[in-house]
Amino acid sequence: MEEEEGEILEDDEFEDEETTRDLVVPGEVLTEDVKNFLPGRGTILNDTRDKIISLHIGLKQINKNYINVIPLKGIYTPQPGDKVIAIVTDKNPVKYRCDINAKDEAQLKPKNTARRIKARLGRGRDYQRDDSNTDRFEIGDVLIVKVLSADRLNKPELTTVGKYLGKKNGGIVISIDPPKIPRVIGRSGSMIKMLKSLTNCNIFVTQNGRIWLKGDDIAHERLLIDAIYKIEREAHTSGLTDRIQAFIENEKIKRGIK
Amino acid sequence: MVLIIKDEYPEKLFREDGKRLDGRDKTELRPLKMEVGVIENADGSAYLEWGNNKIFAAVYGPREVHPHHLAKPDRGILRVFYRMATYSVFDRKRPAPGRREKEISMIISDCIEPVLFLELYPGTAFEVFIEVIDADGGTRCASTTVASLALADAGVPMKSLVTSVAIGKIDGEIVVDLSGIEDKAGEADLPLAITWFNGEISLLQFDGAMDVEEFNKCLTLGKEAAEKIYQIQLDALRKKYISIQESVSGSSNASGGEE
Repeated sequence: MEEEEGEILEDDEFEDEETTRDLVVPGEVLTEDVKNFLPGRGTILNDTRDKIISLHIGLKQINKNYINVIPLKGIYTPQPGDKVIAIVTDKNPVKYRCDINAKDEAQLKPKNTARRIKARLGRGRDYQRDDSNTDRFEIGDVLIVKVLSADRLNKPELTTVGKYLGKKNGGIVISIDPPKIPRVIGRSGSMIKMLKSLTNCNIFVTQNGRIWLKGDDIAHERLLIDAIYKIEREAHTSGLTDRIQAFIENEKIKRGIK
Repeated sequence: MVLIIKDEYPEKLFREDGKRLDGRDKTELRPLKMEVGVIENADGSAYLEWGNNKIFAAVYGPREVHPHHLAKPDRGILRVFYRMATYSVFDRKRPAPGRREKEISMIISDCIEPVLFLELYPGTAFEVFIEVIDADGGTRCASTTVASLALADAGVPMKSLVTSVAIGKIDGEIVVDLSGIEDKAGEADLPLAITWFNGEISLLQFDGAMDVEEFNKCLTLGKEAAEKIYQIQLDALRKKYISIQESVSGSSNASGGEE
């Protein structure tokens, strides 16, 4: 089976034209001009409503009349529809518990692991559903799942029914800071395409900061991991794609891999 | 035989040239050094050297609360664990947390809480571990300062940083940033913390005797001193990222020159 990359059509906010290289810290006043600007993501108005203040350590971005702050560090907040890498941490006869790198453990119910059987066996007769138990996955399995529901108060619910979803066999999972994931993908996928073509690895990048990768041999995989950690470290700098390309090409010569 | 060393304090806390015992002016701070991101496995961390104080802070969370009954269903909680190393003070400090540790943990958590958005993380806890490696007066202020820095480094949304400093009265004079000996032998001690979001005072403790006029003077001096510390905090926070930016732009320029 051919592995496909994650379908994440999110733009690289770090490389946007509106994104400045201004590093802002919590409490920093972004602007006092509240007539022309509105507080966007990662910002707040102060009590007297005459200043816009940053909530994170991050980069300042001006989008039309909104001022946003793109955080450089933070936690993953699950949103319905996100495709994430989950690790099964526990299971009982009625559900699996999964670690999705969020503040709550997510749950995966067996009915969400298999397609519904439409055919009925007959009137009044119960049929044996094969999705009524938790035999499908084991503790420690790496799953690609979709978030069905997630909010502030309840535990997120997951599903493995859908395109690209399900158990991943083999490969390596690494994690980076979730806010830096857009940088690994790059603007319209430029960074991830470059990584794939240069290292010959299959990569699946997900919103919760986890990256699944599988290559032809361990040398390529290790090179790719080093490159991803370099992207994480230098996410707030400009001209990153070119620098990573040069890094991989240099390292290939150094390490003697094709 | 038990060796008993009596606490002996100098009679005068000012030198003949009008300076304090460690050579500072009345409104001068002790040398300050801050750094963030010092502990690899923590979500956020910070280290502070303030005079002879050496303090580490590490932040974990939001994560599940244990014991579970402490969790609040409508909001998250901030748990602070202030601990002193056994070798941090002159007499060996008993490692078990006592009344003092519990009190300081509580006041630090209470004074940082207003700047956090705990209602976004119901049922979870942010845990701040503060380890005092070396203590010389004003550790509660230093711990508050370094804890807010570590929280900011962890990427926790916060309205502003919190800065804390102690003002006191020694030999009838108001001085800023008391050292250990001034704290013990002085007449009054007033630790205060400021949240920069609206400039409000988040912590105010008072021990000793002072009249209202002196008290007001303390508040103005405290605010001035806190502003200086705040700038150092901001610089420390920015430095982690700016140093990477600079090293990258420097190296790319250099390699560009070679090519």
